[in-house]
Amino acid sequence: MPFSTRYILLFASALILLLFSFAYSLIAWSSFPLNLSHISAYFFNFDHQSIEQQILATTRIPRLLVAILIGTNLAVAGVLMQGLTRNPLASPSILGINAGAACFMALASIGINVLGEVSSLVSASVGGLVSGALVIFLGGFFSARSNPLKLILAGIAINALLIGITRAAIILADDRAYSVITWLSGSLASMDWQQWQLLWPTSLVGLVISAYVAKNLNLLALGNEVATSLGINIAFTRFLSCIAIILLTASSVAVVGPIGFVGLIVPHIARRLVSNNYLLLLPISALLGSCLIVWADALSRGIAFPAETPVGVITALIGAPFFVFLSIRSKAL
Amino acid sequence: MKHLTLSVLLLILLLIGIASLFVGASTLSAQQIIDTLLHSGEYDFIVNQYRLPRLLLAIGVGAGLGLSGSLIQGVIRNPLASPDLMGISAGAGLAATSLLVFYAAAPVYLLLLTALSGGLIAAAIILLIAYKTKPTPIRLALIGIAISTFLSSGIDFLIIVNPVEMNTAMVWLTGSLWGRNWTQVPIIWATLAVVLPFAFWLAWRLDVMGLGEDCATSLGIRPSKLQLIALLTAVILASISVAVAGTIAFIGLLAPHLARMLFGHDHKLLIPASALLGALMLIIADTLARGLQPPLELPAGVLTSLIGAPYFIFLLQRYKAW
Repeated sequence: MPFSTRYILLFASALILLLFSFAYSLIAWSSFPLNLSHISAYFFNFDHQSIEQQILATTRIPRLLVAILIGTNLAVAGVLMQGLTRNPLASPSILGINAGAACFMALASIGINVLGEVSSLVSASVGGLVSGALVIFLGGFFSARSNPLKLILAGIAINALLIGITRAAIILADDRAYSVITWLSGSLASMDWQQWQLLWPTSLVGLVISAYVAKNLNLLALGNEVATSLGINIAFTRFLSCIAIILLTASSVAVVGPIGFVGLIVPHIARRLVSNNYLLLLPISALLGSCLIVWADALSRGIAFPAETPVGVITALIGAPFFVFLSIRSKAL
Repeated sequence: MKHLTLSVLLLILLLIGIASLFVGASTLSAQQIIDTLLHSGEYDFIVNQYRLPRLLLAIGVGAGLGLSGSLIQGVIRNPLASPDLMGISAGAGLAATSLLVFYAAAPVYLLLLTALSGGLIAAAIILLIAYKTKPTPIRLALIGIAISTFLSSGIDFLIIVNPVEMNTAMVWLTGSLWGRNWTQVPIIWATLAVVLPFAFWLAWRLDVMGLGEDCATSLGIRPSKLQLIALLTAVILASISVAVAGTIAFIGLLAPHLARMLFGHDHKLLIPASALLGALMLIIADTLARGLQPPLELPAGVLTSLIGAPYFIFLLQRYKAW
């Protein structure tokens, strides 16, 4: 009985948490004082003359929407990756997909167009695909005695390599190292509606695909033989999940830069809450992921106010101890 | 035979070192460089104040990192252990960066002490975790990398929140010998001079430790004390290197491995060989960093990670004791 009252309550409380963080993140730590009445005025009687409402309309609302969607994307991608690899430490940042997307984007943005003239989204997707495939190959995922730790370490090494290439390429191309560091740490500081337009269509496709494969992933978790005997096309399910992961991660990286550890932490918390049923795990992870990013973003503005801290630094500061904890405790490794 | 290899290595180091004096934004002839070295003159700044101290620093820092790596790998008996993968470099870097951010005019000795205490704290944390949980070698590497990530995102955070001069910041992020001068040279060399005798004192004791703790005890060695001394030495070397040149990745991992390929497991050879190879690697990386696209400077740490990361993957492929 998947939809008992307990689950519905959980859903509801997560939603409330999210709603509260909406309002909070819209007005918190602004250089220009804002309060709750401005938000309600924005929604119910919008006034072009009001500076407060203009601030909300042009920077805060798109930033918030992007944060929510990024959180959703990364968390869902993390759930899918942990499900596919059966590795509790798998996540877009650790298996090198973030770094690959960032590297290809950086190369494209400084004029080394590996792929010719394509949009940043495409180069990010290809980069994520290439590095992800490389990690899976080098980590021996398909070998007979595949070891989960080897996969993780291969991911970390590829990460180091790609970050090195990215930094070298950017420094050689021009001297604007500061903005690059901010971008490489993942920042939501300069979001506007244009970014949102870039983000939502791809994310939507990715999320729809993940919702579609959720049921198959449940059966796949029973083991390959059982899944096959229940009529699941394993290869096709895996393929679809990979597509979803790439779409979700690449669109996030293309817009805000690599944000680490969200895809690692959130699925673990979500699994604690709703066990392993993907039909519940995916939406709960999505909610928690967006909560995490929205809060981390609010914190990133406040922690050294008025300077902006990249949100990726905040998630890394939260996520890395969590990673230590997981790698000590996890029995599956 | 092995001593011959060691001398050949030394010769290569010398040759590459001399060659590195020629690399840079302005091209000088051999005659000009020799003239300048002997009795300064027109190019005094380029050669004597810029390239020469940088060369000496590269040798010192590289040797320090290589030595530190070989000691750590010798004590922990873990092929994936090294000061940067264990978070020691990042700890020292974080401490040094915070000092520079909050007290920019800090005197050099204070910077060194801060870096050292940062390295020691990071080492203490990871050793405590290792002691409590008794992880497998590979899991220890994972924990170390996570601690490293945590500490270096702390560095990122400090730098982005308090934008000090960007070039200084890049040095701490990726490690570089850019903008260093004679003031740093005595620091790293004095550290090496103090620590090297210790390292040789440790050498045969580490060999004996390799026979097993019981055997070592019966030969009059107290394993716990020895481990402590060796680790302390390694942390000091790594932290001082970081204080001088920022966090330079992968040399502490690679140099001992290459040394072991060339010289086997005898620490009396392994220790000097790791130091030499570390120095060699850093000179090459730094020369490339300076010469790839002069006048632009790449951080040497970027180049070492471009070489180091593939090697790390190679080690993973070969590592059998999963």
